[in-house]
Amino acid sequence: MPTIDNFIRPEEWVSSFVTDMGKEIRKWGKERYLPIRREVDEDWRNHKLIEPLLKEVLVDLGLNSAFFPFEVGGADMPDPMAFVNVLGEELARIDAGFAVAALCSTWGLMPIMFKPHRNMELLEEFGPKFCGEELYVGCHAMTEPGGGADIENIGQVKGKTIQTTATLDGDEWVINGAKMWPTNSGKVGDLYTVICTTKLGSTDPDDFALILVPADTKGLKVGSAYQKCGMSADMNTDIWFDNVRVPKRYRFHGPGDDLKYWKRAITIGSMASTAMCVGVMKAVYEIIKDYTTTRVVAGKPLKEHSIVAEMLCDLTMSIESTSAWLWAYTREIDHPEIYGWDPWDERFALKTRGLSIHATNAVERACSRAMDYMGSYGYSREGDIEKFWRDQKVIGLWMGGKGLKTIENARYWYDLKTL
Amino acid sequence: MALYPSNAWCDEWKNALNNDPAVEKTGKNWGVDFNGNFIFELQPGDGLDQTTYVYLEAAAGKCSDARLVKDPSEVDAGFFVIGLYANFKPVVKGEKDFIEGVVRGILKLKGDMSKIMRNAKFIRAVANSISSFENEYLGE
Repeated sequence: MPTIDNFIRPEEWVSSFVTDMGKEIRKWGKERYLPIRREVDEDWRNHKLIEPLLKEVLVDLGLNSAFFPFEVGGADMPDPMAFVNVLGEELARIDAGFAVAALCSTWGLMPIMFKPHRNMELLEEFGPKFCGEELYVGCHAMTEPGGGADIENIGQVKGKTIQTTATLDGDEWVINGAKMWPTNSGKVGDLYTVICTTKLGSTDPDDFALILVPADTKGLKVGSAYQKCGMSADMNTDIWFDNVRVPKRYRFHGPGDDLKYWKRAITIGSMASTAMCVGVMKAVYEIIKDYTTTRVVAGKPLKEHSIVAEMLCDLTMSIESTSAWLWAYTREIDHPEIYGWDPWDERFALKTRGLSIHATNAVERACSRAMDYMGSYGYSREGDIEKFWRDQKVIGLWMGGKGLKTIENARYWYDLKTL
Repeated sequence: MALYPSNAWCDEWKNALNNDPAVEKTGKNWGVDFNGNFIFELQPGDGLDQTTYVYLEAAAGKCSDARLVKDPSEVDAGFFVIGLYANFKPVVKGEKDFIEGVVRGILKLKGDMSKIMRNAKFIRAVANSISSFENEYLGE
């Protein structure tokens, strides 16, 4: 009988190294995470169980060091999207909340991590911390209390509503404002990538600034963890910046280029979100296959009833179609020498939004329909489906939500002028 | 100049590794609490008549043994790098990056991938040492 390894993953596009790293994660998850997953789900406030697990993946298995240059102790992985997809899928199959916590550790640094837009001065300062023996976690602070998706909606709002300000005072940036919700905030984050404006109310791309703020900087305060519907392994808090001072060199690139290369992070965010949806759907596939095979109704296994077979088929079609789409875009993004667009090209950021919407709709439907056929077993903790059902919802909500994603995707395909 | 692959070449590589401060510095944790020895399986073609195995014993930033072996089972290795001789040659010449070759699948690596990820700096230093001396090559 087919397994999750029979779903689309073009072998010729994924190196055996990346495939084997995926297997390492799967093995680790089976041995270390799955036995305590339900306990981890209750650990949302303190992360006593989650933090050591995060160290095992980010430090011991080396995920944190994947994209840092050799010079600072990283693995300098080529084909970053393929790597993120495989690892994102495998981690999300174990726990989507843990997947986002692990993947987001270096997400905020991606505008300075990759060639040809590396900032070696900053990578030399912070890279060894991420690639060292101790757990060091990054946090990408975007959303603001009054703005919601406005920050992500650069195409229309153009940064006008960013309320977190960065003012140059001699050789230092002085940052004031507040952020909320970012993954790995609170006690988890060691280094924040903060989206700021250098001129309040400006729509000039030059005023969009990405600035690093170490968590122990004077004037930075964090709140306690939000209790959410799911995603317990992803800690989200409020963050306040009260005359926070950091060196001038902590700005990523400078006027114009901060925004330009940030778009690569947005594209990667949409792609990683999709990979996570695929990982969750594969977990659902395994659970529902087992349940409908062993559960006997009216004298035959549940899966032998035509109405159930239709749901099972619907699920696998979703996994196949989402995977195929994901890998097609992955190839485009990882190989500009073939397709011609730079990975930070805004068109990728807009185009991948459509994929992300498709994936989040598919995973929501997959979890819900699986639960329909598992009945109360699906709704109970013991069935495990309910965890994925609770966790997956936010994938469709983050990075601007489905509304912004829809508009941006339509903007790309139809050249919208007013939306 | 030693012929790659040969025991004379292995001796030169061992010597280069043990005189490279970068290898010593970056490899201090390599092979300390795990088997960090390598087998390089060079597959025939491009002048190489038969599959050839190069064994490298490395721990704590030092190389204690490097030699050709007839059968990988003769030694105890934690990592296997497999590829065509034609694909190893550019790495030994310093024309291609070893890790990129592994990550892109041109050279296949078997072993604990996370150890490679975590010790990329050491692996890079080892790869650099390969191309630090002049060699002769089969088929050229």
